[in-house]
Amino acid sequence: MKKKKIAALTMCMTMAASMMIGCGSDSQSASTGNEAEETKTAETSGEEGTVTENPAKENKVASGETVKLTIAARGGSHVDVINAVKEKFEQENNVEIEVLGLEAADLKQKVALDAMNEEGTYDIVMIDDPVMPEFTENNVLLNLTAEGYEDDSDFLTASLALGKNPYGTGDTYALPFSGNVQLLFYNKDVLVELGKEVPESWAEVLEISQAAKDSGKNGYIIRGQQGNPIVSDYLPLLWAYGGDVFDENWNVTVDSTEAKEAMQMYLDLLETGANYEKNDMVSSISGGSSTMGLGWPSWFITDGSAAADYAVIPAKAETESESYASGEIGNWMMGIPANCQHKEIAIELLKYLTSEEVQRTAVDVGAVPTRNSVFADAEILAKYPYLETLQAGTENSVVRPRTAKWSAIEEAYGAELSNIVAGTKNIEQGLADAKTAIEGIMSQN
Amino acid sequence: MKKEKQGFAYAMTLPAIVVLIALSVFPLGYTIKNSFTDYYLLAPDKAKWVGFSNYIQIVKDPFFRLTVKNTLLFTVVGVFFETTLGIVLAVFADSFKKGKKLLRILLMLPMLLPPVTVALVWQTMFSNNNGILNQILGFIGMTPVNWLQDVKTALPSILVIDIWQYTPLAFLLAYASIQTVSTEQYEAASLDGANGWKRFWYITLPNILSGVRMVVLLRVIDTFRLFDKVNILTKGGPANSTATITQYIYQYGTKNFQMGYASAASMIMTVIVVLMSAVYLKQSLKEMK
Repeated sequence: MKKKKIAALTMCMTMAASMMIGCGSDSQSASTGNEAEETKTAETSGEEGTVTENPAKENKVASGETVKLTIAARGGSHVDVINAVKEKFEQENNVEIEVLGLEAADLKQKVALDAMNEEGTYDIVMIDDPVMPEFTENNVLLNLTAEGYEDDSDFLTASLALGKNPYGTGDTYALPFSGNVQLLFYNKDVLVELGKEVPESWAEVLEISQAAKDSGKNGYIIRGQQGNPIVSDYLPLLWAYGGDVFDENWNVTVDSTEAKEAMQMYLDLLETGANYEKNDMVSSISGGSSTMGLGWPSWFITDGSAAADYAVIPAKAETESESYASGEIGNWMMGIPANCQHKEIAIELLKYLTSEEVQRTAVDVGAVPTRNSVFADAEILAKYPYLETLQAGTENSVVRPRTAKWSAIEEAYGAELSNIVAGTKNIEQGLADAKTAIEGIMSQN
Repeated sequence: MKKEKQGFAYAMTLPAIVVLIALSVFPLGYTIKNSFTDYYLLAPDKAKWVGFSNYIQIVKDPFFRLTVKNTLLFTVVGVFFETTLGIVLAVFADSFKKGKKLLRILLMLPMLLPPVTVALVWQTMFSNNNGILNQILGFIGMTPVNWLQDVKTALPSILVIDIWQYTPLAFLLAYASIQTVSTEQYEAASLDGANGWKRFWYITLPNILSGVRMVVLLRVIDTFRLFDKVNILTKGGPANSTATITQYIYQYGTKNFQMGYASAASMIMTVIVVLMSAVYLKQSLKEMK
């Protein structure tokens, strides 16, 4: 019996010990890793002439180890862009750059979760611009202005403003990495067949779409998927009709007369075409089975020879109506987490990734510039003529409401817009319910 | 002697208990604690105790009640068809003299695919623009259907995908159960003049019932957590017609970072699943006795 007891005790102790060792080695390696990273920061800081407070860090400066910087990026073309240009910075600064490509919601969540740690994992993070108020108000991002960063006037004003808190006027927390603004996406051949010009008002859009429908094609395509797609698809109409989500005093105005007219137009346009998700919309307009819709330029890069093209979103309801800025701006920003372990070198990398030099190179990999100098480059414009439209669209753009509650508002608003499009609520009821839901969200602490 | 044996047993199970506490009990306790606070992910220091306010707000929320209704509808219809078709396929596969292995492998394929892949494949087939389903409808002279953006077809479309993917699980468990039924029973029934239906009803079904109950339990729990397909294909729309409880939790927890509120919704969902599973667990315990 004693043998059994000894055996049991030994097994238990072995298992417990192995668990403890496992934990120990993790923490040890983590600690080592951090020290190494801190060391590398110090090394870089030394080069920059910054005095480090931690003697341990200073001791490691001389070690010459390569600093590893981690970028949490939006997956897809953005990762391709960073990977295409990172080598030069790595060589010049003795760093290794790891790029994590993440889906938008996953990226936001991972950045937020990491922000709760004393020592952050990421050195640079990409942020969808509507998320900026939520992140800056909750100290997720490093205040670049406080770190000595001075604004670069070469950035498009509308893009640079997105990275500031308060919006447009405050300190800079993030720089515009990838510019984007919604444009009117149309098929040139279909317009030629119909003998129509690119529309300049929504009434003209409806007229062309109706003509296309009469000729047996789809007219206007809406992106009516609940949530962000339908909200992004409808807001340019709302703005072109002079409406908005809030007035200047943050009163909810989604059920205004202008909003009702815009929604009626949205439904009329749907009658001429169809309700597609993004890929169907792009393929049907590119292929010529549909005529037009709203889209982000990055979905369809045209070299001028394609049948599909972009134009600035009509800024007015009727030909004689007042014009309003109507293109939804949606830049991908780049910032540095407040808990970043390599602040100095991260700022340098941020400057590099958003530099004119990188943007010129990155255009060929699918990047959308955010700098005036790149938009003004004749060689680039000849190669990518849609950039001229994109710049004009950006200058005519509107920013989504700068509130930390935008994610929740977009969900609630999107659900009600979906109700209207699906026919389960009429315009009056749907917009009134949207107003109630948004007011409820805004009243929460 | 008995005490020593008990001590040995406890010692051996201790590591498993520690792991269980670390991986299940602690997260559950943490979630319960959070559910009584207004914990916002980006401001954890400001979290305040709010009592049952989250629970009351959730229960009063018409959107939450709609997600519960959608989830229950999805679960009941989905599990019914998956189980029924699984049994039918199992009986069918068992009747084969040759080629059983190949048939089993082919039938299992949908279950082996990740839900995200399945959703994307079906999204292409359901495409309103050039999807194969609408092309078939066009070929036979019918008007195309906007499968995923129409309130009448969105939920049934996702149901079809789920049934397609998880009927193989029901098939697998039912098929395994059928293999345990002795052939003598069938031979005796045949001698007594029982036809195929009677043999199935009076011999096969009673013998595979415990396996079927297991299928139902597993599928109820899993279907209740339906998320990937909805999130990729419809995002809960159109008009919230496909919104599920997990979608609700995701919206508040992952997207809006309202962790306290999302924790409360998670606890309500857990209670519903436990209640639905209780019937099976009670039956199993009775059989164990």
